[in-house]
Amino acid sequence: MTPSDTWGIPGPVFLRWYLLLAVVVVVGAIVHRRRMLEGTPVAVHGGLGPQQVAFLNGGDQLAVWAALGGLRHAGVVGVRPDRRLTTGGPLPAGATPVDQAVHHAASRGLHTRELAADEWVRRAVDELRDDLVRRGLALDQERRRTLRRGALLVGFLLAIGIVRTVTGLFNDRPTGWLLLSLFPLGLAFVLLNRVPWRTRAATAALNDMRRRHAWLRPDAGPAYATYGPTEVALGVALFGTATLWTMDPGFAEQAEIQRQALGHTGGASTGTSCGGGPTAGGASSCGGSSCGGGGGCGGGCGG
Amino acid sequence: MTGPSGVGIGWRPEIAGFVAGLPGLRFVEVVAEAVAPARPLPDGLTELRGRGVDVVPHGVRLSLGGAEPVDPARVAHLAGVAAALDAPLVSEHIAFVRAGGLEAGHLLPLPRSREAVAAVVANVRRTQAELPVPLALEPIAALFDWPDDELDEADFLTEILDATGALLLLDVANVHANARNRGGDPAALLDRLPLERVAYVHVAGGAEHGGFYHDTHTDPVPAAVLDLVRELCAGRRPPALLLERDGHYPPAAELRGELDALAAASGHPVVT
Repeated sequence: MTPSDTWGIPGPVFLRWYLLLAVVVVVGAIVHRRRMLEGTPVAVHGGLGPQQVAFLNGGDQLAVWAALGGLRHAGVVGVRPDRRLTTGGPLPAGATPVDQAVHHAASRGLHTRELAADEWVRRAVDELRDDLVRRGLALDQERRRTLRRGALLVGFLLAIGIVRTVTGLFNDRPTGWLLLSLFPLGLAFVLLNRVPWRTRAATAALNDMRRRHAWLRPDAGPAYATYGPTEVALGVALFGTATLWTMDPGFAEQAEIQRQALGHTGGASTGTSCGGGPTAGGASSCGGSSCGGGGGCGGGCGG
Repeated sequence: MTGPSGVGIGWRPEIAGFVAGLPGLRFVEVVAEAVAPARPLPDGLTELRGRGVDVVPHGVRLSLGGAEPVDPARVAHLAGVAAALDAPLVSEHIAFVRAGGLEAGHLLPLPRSREAVAAVVANVRRTQAELPVPLALEPIAALFDWPDDELDEADFLTEILDATGALLLLDVANVHANARNRGGDPAALLDRLPLERVAYVHVAGGAEHGGFYHDTHTDPVPAAVLDLVRELCAGRRPPALLLERDGHYPPAAELRGELDALAAASGHPVVT
């Protein structure tokens, strides 16, 4: 029995067309992706509120933590011995819809882990996201699906390649070059499948804000008493719930707030920067140079 | 030389965001030992320098009053920080923080003797030789007098400044503390100091405990200290005054209030 060409197409011919198609599809997907992810630069600094920054940095959950941090600093949210939230006063002026929803949830005695799934909170965060989508900073489900379609096309090509390789191997046909071309294609498939929830403009804005508000890093030991609820919320938004743990460890522990330190490497690129479990860090309020300052100054007083 | 001017505040990482938000600010002070000249400056300081805000390094570990010569590495560090910050001047204390290799961890007062004057003058000259900018000296408060003091506070200080040409960093809260704790009229002490050499003035808060006034830097500035500032500025107004706060930071409004009070008492422009 003479081995015939797989699917009646000679190997070199198939490989040529396959590679050409692969390059066209991958390049097309990348170009499309770059254009879709570009977004609209943030023109005015301070145009983004803490909860918006939080959403862009860590999604729904971080937006909720940011709101909770601001409300806690304002003294209108507390925690009961049974670890359920409670309210300690009316909402301050200028409260956002997410603030209102979280405050309302607290008044109903929810646990912090239930906040993000609460219907009111859900609706408020959705509103927040829709606004960010309109401003070219976040991606809605539709856009993310469109982006995944490019990855799907690459996946389809990959599947054809795999089937042909396997068939060729069974028929004892040479498959080395085809097999080799599957690796970069597989890598492209994996990478294109990772669809971020924010645009590059949003990432740039986040990096800029992280740099400009480096003083809010928990390991710099910010004097939270000096700062207002908005700044505390921004601290949570940029640097994670480590801010809450540094500011009010008693509350954070009693309310079972997941500890997470963000922004240490200067920017999570894509995907899941949030919900990374107990990342620790930022617990000690006095880091390196600030200690030297404090200690030194103490000595200045003799009187 | 153009030194610092107006009302300033001690820059600390804990309140860097507050300091960055002061629109009229023209100078801050930073603890020199908290800055590493070889490494990039803290973001907050870079931003302030970009705005043209003067940053004065304030040393606390040089031990100018030590019997042994100042540590060249520490002097080099101070000079490096001054260069990195493009500072108009640097300041240090007339005190010792180590002796015989032992670190006190505190600024300790010197006996006011001729011998001590000579030791300080020698160390100040060694330091000045390496510094790219003028040096201002800050006398520290003392809860007690050494038994063999030959000079009084004002003479001791004047002799050191005359011999070295150094500037004076006057701590008004210390003057208040000394007068309050050891008796005496703070205004009379001020009158005897070489006020024409003042580069800038420290103002800090404190509290009374057990019959003594403690210059804590963690409490509000008392009215009596502000009165002393008013009195000082009514005569020869110092070019700059700096609020020192080193902990137990109050809400921003309160801190702004202290800066405003300082501006009002001194007649310098409001920085908030």
